Amino acid sequence: MSGTGRKRVRSLALGLLAAALLLTSSGCGDLSNDELNRGVESLSALAAQGQLVANGVARDATKATYARAMARTLGEEAEHEAEKLADATLEEPETADQRHAAVAVAGEISGLLSELQTSPGDERHGELIEKQLEEAGEKADAIVAQLSGDAP
Amino acid sequence: MKGEGEIYVVHRLLDEQICDSDGRRVGRVDDIELRGSPPRITALLVGEGLYPRRLPRSLARLARRISGPETWGSNALRIPWEEVDELSSTVKLRKKAEDLGLGMGDDPRRWIVGRLPWN
Amino acid sequence: MKVIFKIALGIIAAIGGFLDIGDLVFTTQAGALFRYDLLWAVVLGVLGIGVYAEMSGRVAAVSGRPVFDVIRMRMGFGIGLVALIASTAINLLTVAAELGGIAIVLELLLDAPYSMFVVLAAPAIVIVVALLPFGGIERIFGYGGLMLFVVVATVFHQNPDWGDVARGFVPSLDSSALYLYFVVGVFAAALMPYEVHFYSSGAIEEGWTEQNLKENRLNAIFGYGVGAVLAVALVIVSGYLFHPVGVEPSDLGTVALPMQGAFGETGLLLALGGILFCVGGAAIDSSFAASYNLAQFLGWEWGRYQGPRKAPRFTASWLVFLAIGVAIAQSGINPVEITEYSVVFSVVALPLTYLPVLLIAGDRSFMSDYANGRIATFLGWIYFAVIVVLALAAVPLLLITNGGGG
Repeated sequence: MSGTGRKRVRSLALGLLAAALLLTSSGCGDLSNDELNRGVESLSALAAQGQLVANGVARDATKATYARAMARTLGEEAEHEAEKLADATLEEPETADQRHAAVAVAGEISGLLSELQTSPGDERHGELIEKQLEEAGEKADAIVAQLSGDAP
Repeated sequence: MKGEGEIYVVHRLLDEQICDSDGRRVGRVDDIELRGSPPRITALLVGEGLYPRRLPRSLARLARRISGPETWGSNALRIPWEEVDELSSTVKLRKKAEDLGLGMGDDPRRWIVGRLPWN
Repeated sequence: MKVIFKIALGIIAAIGGFLDIGDLVFTTQAGALFRYDLLWAVVLGVLGIGVYAEMSGRVAAVSGRPVFDVIRMRMGFGIGLVALIASTAINLLTVAAELGGIAIVLELLLDAPYSMFVVLAAPAIVIVVALLPFGGIERIFGYGGLMLFVVVATVFHQNPDWGDVARGFVPSLDSSALYLYFVVGVFAAALMPYEVHFYSSGAIEEGWTEQNLKENRLNAIFGYGVGAVLAVALVIVSGYLFHPVGVEPSDLGTVALPMQGAFGETGLLLALGGILFCVGGAAIDSSFAASYNLAQFLGWEWGRYQGPRKAPRFTASWLVFLAIGVAIAQSGINPVEITEYSVVFSVVALPLTYLPVLLIAGDRSFMSDYANGRIATFLGWIYFAVIVVLALAAVPLLLITNGGGG
């Protein structure tokens, strides 16, 4: 390839790389309303899944190793979500209350799941956790509703 | 016309699987040697050393670095056309692989497996 | 009677070989996100692999050529090499995902860490393959995979609204990018080429001839047909249980929850057991597919039944591919994520490995009287068009939806 040809290819490659970086980074670290929404929705999803696992424990209709491993994985995801929500800077400062509430709910969910992890064979405990996860899920849904109400 | 028929044979022969007289798979037709006018197939060429020839110019240099220079007898082998016995879904040869220097990569003696006591 | 038995075994093998971690993940997610609306895509994908497998099996039986022989011979060295590199990379990701899947299930069943099982899975597979007799691999994993019929039982236990389910079989094109991504994903997970490459090489190892063409067709129709029933059932049970409460399945263990809900511990164990056998079989199939493709492209001696003495390079490459799979599975990336990439990229590369087979299957100079008839030609080309469209849409959709994250 000729000299100018190579230069053109190089600048094209750099241009594409820059564009790709721009697209992927798009405000890395900034939490938009949409992303906050998504985060809280996933908390609701985690609580729902946790409920199903706890329900299995409550009815003594599951295997302890399965319940423990599932509770651990879900708990890790809830913690990860909590960190993401807590660390990020908000795009819209008015959503600060919701973010605070979301982080609290995430902590609750992750706490409940660790409890499930430590006692995957305890039926009474499982029943209790199932109920509390349901409540935590409802709190998350309420936050989502507030956020949608706030959205322009 | 004879020329067209010959080209069709070359086209079909290229990249075909080669088997020796025992039916063992010993490589593919990586290139074909044509000599004379009108051109006649004089040999089949086999080996990694021939791969760079088959690639477009831009990749050929990189390929050459990987496969090494064309070394006749090691990574490039010449099978005279007379050694070809039959053409069906593979190119069948008259002789065994060792007699032609083919399929050395699968020679069990080169692999420790061949030297294991139960083999 | 013996013939029927043999054909039944072949069909069972095809069923077992059909579902892998990609199908499990994508069907469960599709059900949770879109309830029954993607059932038509599942059927479309399964029909597609039936078409591809039937053609490849027929080409292998009549011309003695496995898929990568066809690819190199018909498309030449250059394009064939591109197909080989793409195919190998994708197969390695697949092997890693399946090995990860085995480790996840074992972690769910026993009380030991994931990484231990990943490292143990590979040698275990080598031993299993070395000890199993002719056709044993397909049979064991086929039968084990049948445990997944507990999913079908779960569908009837749940007793969903059959009207809603039926509507899911009618193609609808929701305009959301996420929906389209799952159309691609569900289809691609059903039409994983490694399965067909393994099947076609297996046919040649078993010495198939024109006599086996009926068997080939029955495998394609019933084997994948029953596989379709399982895949459809997975979407339904997931849609029934997960969609109303918004569960987002991101782990392999989630796949078993509906069966636990319906049948308690028994349902859970059957589901996990079935998953283990399916994913284990897939690990074997995908690792061998990678070695088959490499050896066939380069012209080496190849064959599971040849053993390390007669096909040392083939065997060595198989072991290397397993080792690379272990390394990737150990890298800390969630196997479910690896699966998503392997499935999406596999459809991108699919046109390259599908077209040569379609061309040869329809070529009388190779297939004589057994070339594609009118139905096969029609289906073959329609599917090629579908595959090309999905291949072009796959990566953009992956990027837009952030890997199905929404």
